[in-house]
Amino acid sequence: MTDRRATATEKHFLQKLESYRKGSLSRRDFLAQTGLGLATAVMAGTMPGLARRAWAQGSIGDRVVIATWPNYHAPESLEAFRAATGATVDVNVFGSNEEMLAKLQAGGASWDVVVATNYTISTYVDQAIIEELDLSRIPNFDPSAFEARFADPGVINGKTYAIPRNIGTTGYCVNTSELDSATPTTWKEFWDLSRDQLSGRTMVHDYQLTAIGNALKYYGYSFNSVDPKELADAERLLIETKPHLFAINSDYQPSMRSGDAAMSMCWTGDAVQLQRDIPEIAYVLGKEGGELWSDFFTIPASAPHRDAAYALINFLLAPEMAAQEARFHGYPTGDSRVDALLPDEMRSSPILYPAADILNALEFGAAITLTNPVRAEIMARFKSA
Amino acid sequence: MRLYVIAVYLFLYIPIGIIALFSFNAGRHAAQFAGFSTQWYGKALDNPFVIDALKTSFTVAMTSALLATVCGTLAAVALQGIRGRLRMVYDALIYMAVMVPGIVIGIATLITLVTVFDTLNPLLATLFGGKAPPQLGLGKGSLIAAHGLFTMALVIVIVRARLQGMDRTLLEAAADLGAPPMRSFVQITLPQIAPAVLAGFLLAFTFSFDDFIVAFFVAGSETTLPIYVFSSIRRGVTPEINAIGAMVMAASLVLLITAQMILRPRKR
Amino acid sequence: MLVLPLLVVVLFSFGERGAAGGYVPAFTLDNYANLAARWTAFQNTILLAPLGTVLCLLIAYPLAYYLAIKADPRWRTILLILVIVPFWTSILIRSYAWIQILGGNGLPRLIAEFGFGRPRLINTPFAVMVGIVYGYLPLMVFPIYVALEKIDRRLLEASADLGSPPWRTFVQITLPLSLAGVATGSMLVFILLMGEFLIPQILGGGKVFFVGNALVDLFLQSRNWPFGAAVAATLVMVMLVIVTLYLRAMKRLSGGRDDVAMM
Repeated sequence: MTDRRATATEKHFLQKLESYRKGSLSRRDFLAQTGLGLATAVMAGTMPGLARRAWAQGSIGDRVVIATWPNYHAPESLEAFRAATGATVDVNVFGSNEEMLAKLQAGGASWDVVVATNYTISTYVDQAIIEELDLSRIPNFDPSAFEARFADPGVINGKTYAIPRNIGTTGYCVNTSELDSATPTTWKEFWDLSRDQLSGRTMVHDYQLTAIGNALKYYGYSFNSVDPKELADAERLLIETKPHLFAINSDYQPSMRSGDAAMSMCWTGDAVQLQRDIPEIAYVLGKEGGELWSDFFTIPASAPHRDAAYALINFLLAPEMAAQEARFHGYPTGDSRVDALLPDEMRSSPILYPAADILNALEFGAAITLTNPVRAEIMARFKSA
Repeated sequence: MRLYVIAVYLFLYIPIGIIALFSFNAGRHAAQFAGFSTQWYGKALDNPFVIDALKTSFTVAMTSALLATVCGTLAAVALQGIRGRLRMVYDALIYMAVMVPGIVIGIATLITLVTVFDTLNPLLATLFGGKAPPQLGLGKGSLIAAHGLFTMALVIVIVRARLQGMDRTLLEAAADLGAPPMRSFVQITLPQIAPAVLAGFLLAFTFSFDDFIVAFFVAGSETTLPIYVFSSIRRGVTPEINAIGAMVMAASLVLLITAQMILRPRKR
Repeated sequence: MLVLPLLVVVLFSFGERGAAGGYVPAFTLDNYANLAARWTAFQNTILLAPLGTVLCLLIAYPLAYYLAIKADPRWRTILLILVIVPFWTSILIRSYAWIQILGGNGLPRLIAEFGFGRPRLINTPFAVMVGIVYGYLPLMVFPIYVALEKIDRRLLEASADLGSPPWRTFVQITLPLSLAGVATGSMLVFILLMGEFLIPQILGGGKVFFVGNALVDLFLQSRNWPFGAAVAATLVMVMLVIVTLYLRAMKRLSGGRDDVAMM
């Protein structure tokens, strides 16, 4: 029932939009007649750029498809976008950057916006999968609001291909009520605990970058190493640990919640969401280092709804909207304008904003790990062992 | 014996009971039961992604099953006329198609389509010149093609089994009486194979509606219901999936019983 | 049309992986030489697929026997429908139900209540087996039921009248006459199991690895299409060989009768 009503409004809206564009309806009448006046008025305060621009551009179509990660967008934000522009956001979730690249490479697919992690951008550019962005169409993006290290991977040879959306770390979460000892602080302890006290209760990501990277950290090697000897050490550790693992799976929230797993490799936002419901769950960033990352909005060269893609990116980058998203997914955005809008408990959270000394020990994932065949094979052997 | 049968039925139905039970869970997490509520049904029906996925699944299943049934039936009838070695080759090919695992079908279709698109798209671009040449891509079309193609093999097998059991004298009589082949097909063959055609259609529909693995590879950015459910299971579940599951189950039960009621009088 | 995709797979299997993944045309046998790297996956599949088939058969046969021969005819249709109904729900949703049952808060907790410790069930080969049997049982029951139902009751009555004990009637009459159904059912289940990906993925927690899982990883994670194509081609070959051998054996067993065809 609600669905039918929604489509009817949409049709009505598009009709009115058409008359407005042809000039047979004034802007004020258009807004009043479509009932958007109120919505726009409410939003205009927070995102002046958007409200006017969307109309100025004319119709952006009725659909935009975004390739992104699980639990990454608040349904309300996407609904607000539809209400403001008439374009429904279709969300496709992926399990890893590798899977995303595979499907983009297969071509023929029609995503308009792709949320990609820093270490993939240069490969996407080399493969001509994504295109240079027209920053004039994304007025809500303010490069000066971002720390250079988070925004830089999106700029290649002076051209901006990707816009930072949010940042995060890869650590591990552990249910402290299950531990005899004090809360661990290193990756060494993660791997030792998983083969000892938490045998059968630990989860490792089904993701080469972090599974192998954090195994490399056990020996103090670089997270991004592609050195054959170092990788061989990491592989030995992974295969030795395998029988002790509860699962190799990047979807650890259900198991952590049910208590089946007591420790898991974990991303910032999941840790925030878990801790919200189960306070005993602690989030640990290994002292040895580990991964620091940022995720970016990109537009594939093959995007069928380019106008809508720009509109969506711009819409989600408006500080008010980005703050709403951050409250939902639990990752910091890296945008100082958004930080100012977040509630205190988020701003003071050590999970979201780790101490500078821990943060500086972390590394960004390197492009080479994405396409390195040795790492891919190690992951496959680890999983089939 | 009876006890054993009861045990097997329990084995079959306990998981389903659990799905249904937890769909009424008031809590947000599937793991603990926190009171009775029907809120997840409302949420599922209100979720535009679920509705979209359902629509996509239905369109794809309907179209591909129709295609498979029409082409498959015609192919089966045509095959009936072929004898000897050629027939053997065809038979072997059809069994191959039925036997190849879904995952290989998905992969094979994916790489074939991608290769075909890679050659055709530049061609289309030059043909149309100017701007916005039509682009071929993965999506509903490729999904329908993949499902249609491989469920067609199923339809052929089923319809042929029925054709073989058919009384050929009727056809010969019709031919003797001077009926054109088309007419004898419509008036004699079709009514006799109708149940098999219907069964083939239902099977093809179910296959397509339920298929995850082929869609996972060739659906491009389209989301079918199984793909939606898979990604929901991935991201840590709310009882919403249980509600969807329970509804799909109830719907198929109703369909099944209706089909049974319609078919029964004819059978007896 | 049906064969073209398979030919492309074979063609791709001789190619090379591009620098960023994908496929580069070439002619090399390296991918086949490299198959040993997925030996565990093949081993798991070749062990677990027949095991799953046999388990399905063992559970399905008595059920089909009961339905076809013992059950009250009035209830028969209903009971049969009840066997298919679960099959009409997505395998995803059904496997997901088992996550809840076999997960720590399900069966293991129940077992712990009875004081037998708290075994871990989910993400083990056992869980995958349960999922497999659960998923494919109806496919096994049906063909066997059809075969059993066709048996002329008078044969069974005659045998009883002549004083042979029930087990003997079963072994000498019922079983041989139902072999065609057993063959069909086993074939169906076996074929589907060889390409299984979802059940190990969902119930195995990435710890029970089938060829299907290896294939998905090769195509969607490491993007090594040529190697993936080689693995896929090998899988089909292995299946063809096993199925042919099996059909031959069944044919010999049933005295060369033709009705042990696949469908």
